[in-house]
Amino acid sequence: MTVGTTLPLLKDPQMQFGATTFFAKQHKGDTCGSNGLPLTPNSIIIVGRAQTLKTINCPYLCQYLDFIRGKHERTIVVSQYCGTPLAELIEKRRFEPEEIVQIAYQILEGLKVLHGRKIVHRTLSNDNILLQSSGDVKLFNYGLFHMSKFGSLVSFPVFQVLYTAPEVFLNGINRLSSDPKCDIWSLGVCLAELALNKVLWSSLKLGQKIRKILSMLQVNGSILEKIAREHNSYEQYLEMPEDLKEIIEECLNVLPSHRPTCDLLLKKPCFQQFKAKEGEGFRKICPPFEIFTIHELYHWWQLAGGDVLLELKKQGLIRSSPPILSLPSLVLIEGVVLGQDRNPATLYDPRIAQMPLDALYQRFAHIPFPVFYPLIHSKSEIIADADPPPYDATALPLVIKEKDPEYQLHRVILLRRLLHGYPFTKDFIVEQSAKDIPPLLRGEIWAALLNIQADYETTYTRIDKVTHTTTDRQIEVDIPRCHQYNELLSSADGHKKLKRILKAWVYQNSQYVYWQGLDSLTAPFLYLNFNDEGKAFACLSAFVPKFLHNFFLKDNSVVIEEYLCKFSQLIAFHDPDLANHLHEINFYPQLFAIPWFLTLFSHVFPLYKILHLWDRLLLCDSSFPIHIGLSVLTQLRDRLLTSGFNECILLFSDLPEVDIEKCVLLSTSTYQNTPRSVTSREHENGKFHKKDELDIVGLKLEELKKERCPRISANDVVNFVRNRPNDVLLIDIRNPTMYSRCSVMGSINIPFSSVSFSDNIIDNIGLHSAALKSKGHKVVVVIGDADTDLETFPTFLLQCNISKVCVLHGGFNRLLSVTPTVLTSNNAM
Amino acid sequence: MANRSGTAQRPNGQSQGKICQFKLVLLGESAVGKSSLVLRFVKGQFHEYQESTIGAAFLTQTICLDDTTVKFEIWDTAGQERYHSLAPMYYRGAQAAIVVYDITNQDTFGRAKTWVKELQRQASPNIVIALAGNKQDLANKRMVEYEEAQTYAEENGLLFMETSAKTAMNVNDIFLAIAKKLPKNEQNTGQGGSVQGRRLTEGNTEPKTGANCCK
Ligand SMILES: Nc1nc2c(ncn2[C@@H]2O[C@H](COP(=O)(O)OP(=O)(O)OP(=O)(O)O)[C@@H](O)[C@H]2O)c(=O)[nH]1
Ligand SMILES: [Mg+2]
Repeated sequence: MTVGTTLPLLKDPQMQFGATTFFAKQHKGDTCGSNGLPLTPNSIIIVGRAQTLKTINCPYLCQYLDFIRGKHERTIVVSQYCGTPLAELIEKRRFEPEEIVQIAYQILEGLKVLHGRKIVHRTLSNDNILLQSSGDVKLFNYGLFHMSKFGSLVSFPVFQVLYTAPEVFLNGINRLSSDPKCDIWSLGVCLAELALNKVLWSSLKLGQKIRKILSMLQVNGSILEKIAREHNSYEQYLEMPEDLKEIIEECLNVLPSHRPTCDLLLKKPCFQQFKAKEGEGFRKICPPFEIFTIHELYHWWQLAGGDVLLELKKQGLIRSSPPILSLPSLVLIEGVVLGQDRNPATLYDPRIAQMPLDALYQRFAHIPFPVFYPLIHSKSEIIADADPPPYDATALPLVIKEKDPEYQLHRVILLRRLLHGYPFTKDFIVEQSAKDIPPLLRGEIWAALLNIQADYETTYTRIDKVTHTTTDRQIEVDIPRCHQYNELLSSADGHKKLKRILKAWVYQNSQYVYWQGLDSLTAPFLYLNFNDEGKAFACLSAFVPKFLHNFFLKDNSVVIEEYLCKFSQLIAFHDPDLANHLHEINFYPQLFAIPWFLTLFSHVFPLYKILHLWDRLLLCDSSFPIHIGLSVLTQLRDRLLTSGFNECILLFSDLPEVDIEKCVLLSTSTYQNTPRSVTSREHENGKFHKKDELDIVGLKLEELKKERCPRISANDVVNFVRNRPNDVLLIDIRNPTMYSRCSVMGSINIPFSSVSFSDNIIDNIGLHSAALKSKGHKVVVVIGDADTDLETFPTFLLQCNISKVCVLHGGFNRLLSVTPTVLTSNNAM
Repeated sequence: MANRSGTAQRPNGQSQGKICQFKLVLLGESAVGKSSLVLRFVKGQFHEYQESTIGAAFLTQTICLDDTTVKFEIWDTAGQERYHSLAPMYYRGAQAAIVVYDITNQDTFGRAKTWVKELQRQASPNIVIALAGNKQDLANKRMVEYEEAQTYAEENGLLFMETSAKTAMNVNDIFLAIAKKLPKNEQNTGQGGSVQGRRLTEGNTEPKTGANCCK
């Protein structure tokens, strides 16, 4: 491998994939279930069931990559596909007994993984055992029986006649379950073909083949011997080494109960040599770090223009026929259709379309080798200079960045490495997430941002998710209404998972109760961790205390009211015009913003928008949502300003298109430009917001509700005076005597008593009105004391459309104790 | 959106007939089909996967009744018991209410009765209440008999209809029946912004009381 090009790395022969396609069974006639809801299309159920297959990672199994729904219940399965099917080699080359034993071992290891997950292959045959150039084998298409719910969701039989165990026929092929032992029989047939080097009964017709298999039930002696004799291979049978013969004969036992399991077979002495070898390799405590995974390659391939559907059409696996050809001859009034030829496409199509990777190779040809080995911790200047300049896409819009294959290559390589080092690398992950989060790794990155620990799975397993509770009805009626446009969430498996997670959450949080909306809040986590319920649950469990502390109390009214008050105050702080207008028309957040904050917009926006919004939210604190709320109002500002109450409320009942990237930008900007204490709340989680006596504590809701401008803490004011005096305008409204005795450095004095509040005219305050008019972005802090009215003056400023007005909490006296002092005094104290 | 605000701002100087505005609130257990009924009435649509309502949603619709134009300002509330504390904020000052239950679920009928009682006690004394037995299209799974509900409605002076948001059966009719029963005197004729503003203020100023209700 030469330094400088990465192609040999990418062109790994095992890093190839292909697609197969079939039709799910269409629902007949009645399309409504017993609850009055439409039946979920079978293809969606399949896609939901199939997800778990993506998590199977075993060197002897091809990895599943994607499941796509096409038109008319078409289902497309994308999976790793590399090597040559054994069926193509039989009778063409010799298989040495040692080689066959190794193949047997690897198939058994693969089957063991499947059976351990209660997945039955059911279609194991030499057509889908792929021999690699390394000599290893990989099973392909082993998930069809599972994803089709034991064949019940498709209209073709899921088995390979010749390889199918006799009991499958005897029990009826439509039985809704299957004993894994049938795979052992199939293995026996596969091995027999290899050992005899004969394609078995190739000349027989379908019915004859079935009869042939059933005839095995009558055989008294060795089935292998009978097969050998029927194929003129008795000699090979005799020459076969005993250990191999024994394996095949045990597999071909007609009684499933007497047929051995994978585990039992793997105990055979002839397999021990392989076990020892593997011990050295990948059975280490920690799996080796992969430079990139086939999932990533598939992702980049798609970004680089790869399109599975298009490829299937190109290669003739998807063909459209003119609709007129599928018209029935007769339709009865009850809807029974007669004389319609069965569409051959509804049968099983064994063809596999290999996906061409050339375009991707070309696209990545120039990428320098070091990109795959990013330096994370420190880079000396020498190295940094020698490196090619980093691929810079920071300035591009988010949607473009997410679709740029090269950028995503960089991001995925870097972030998976960082995730590998989690939790030690948490700070780096935060730093990188602030740029953007690569969609492929979002689930894991979110979990890291939420500090999810490695033991989350045990916790989840231990929780009772089954026992009936009074909340169940509500959860059950909410789930079929929750983000159902999404395939995963609308699938049967999605419903089951969401229900379990919600029940677990209710069980685990006895201080809280289920509020409608919690379903929507959970949806993004389930969507991102569809194959890892425990992690979805852990994320939800970490998310709620951080962002929605006490929102799900049985009586949450004070928490929500305080939150909405702070929202109103934030609007007043940043956008007085809007705040005044909304105030005038009595348009309160209570009327529209409860679903916003209770579900952090997950009930308001579609999933893809929530993901981008939460990408940023997760990096901020619990005040961020009100900044998002403000950013939504800002986007609709012009309409709101010219509308009355009814039009405003209508606007929010059916929220118009909101640009999420703009939301993120706007809310991040106000979030950064708002002193922290302006949004501080009594009811925020003390764990995340530590406070001292110079912060705002003890503010009662009744008081808060009267104040249209927010308060600011002494801590923040001190910080302004010391570090950013040019960003603040301090207005002391005490009487001039007190002001001249002692005042805050740089403050101006506008005695409360000197101002006439009759009209909202800023000039009424006299001399200093100019300072206010030209204040720009400065924060205006009103400082008073116990004797001054702390509502009228700031409200007056607000009504004069002065922005960023806030009131020092605790008044002037709060600053007396601060050392070193921020006060200046004229006479010695 | 544009259309709708257009309707909302219907000029009141129309030559023929008068315009009346009424505030109407929908109450009832979760998932009985309140939002679906409103959606059918306002937009003529039905969504199988209608999202659940959190807090409340506001919509308007105008219908013509002889020489009067009746404009409904509809508050569609959240059905879950927990959101109960918010309900008074919406039904306060309402001139009409539709209490909805699901004919395939007996519990929702019980809950509807509770709502009726609460309205009779707490809402404006002249409020027109209609009872809607929704999901009539699922009559083969009926758990609440028509007669039972009708008797209850008669005893309590309620309008009553079985409806289906899915097939649109009786949806417009129930709103129409309410419109007919509402008094169309001067007080309710919309005179533009000021009346609107005042009435809504009345309706919204007491969230405190609302919060207390949950205990
Ligand atoms: N078959 C049938 N289903 C209906 C009908 N009306 C509503 N539904 C379904 O019932 C479910 C609940 O309807 P919603 O309108 O969301 O109920 P809701 O009363 O607004 O519920 P909350 O917002 O939770 O209070 C949805 O899945 C609707 O599709 C109907 O007339 N017939
Ligand atoms: Mg609703």
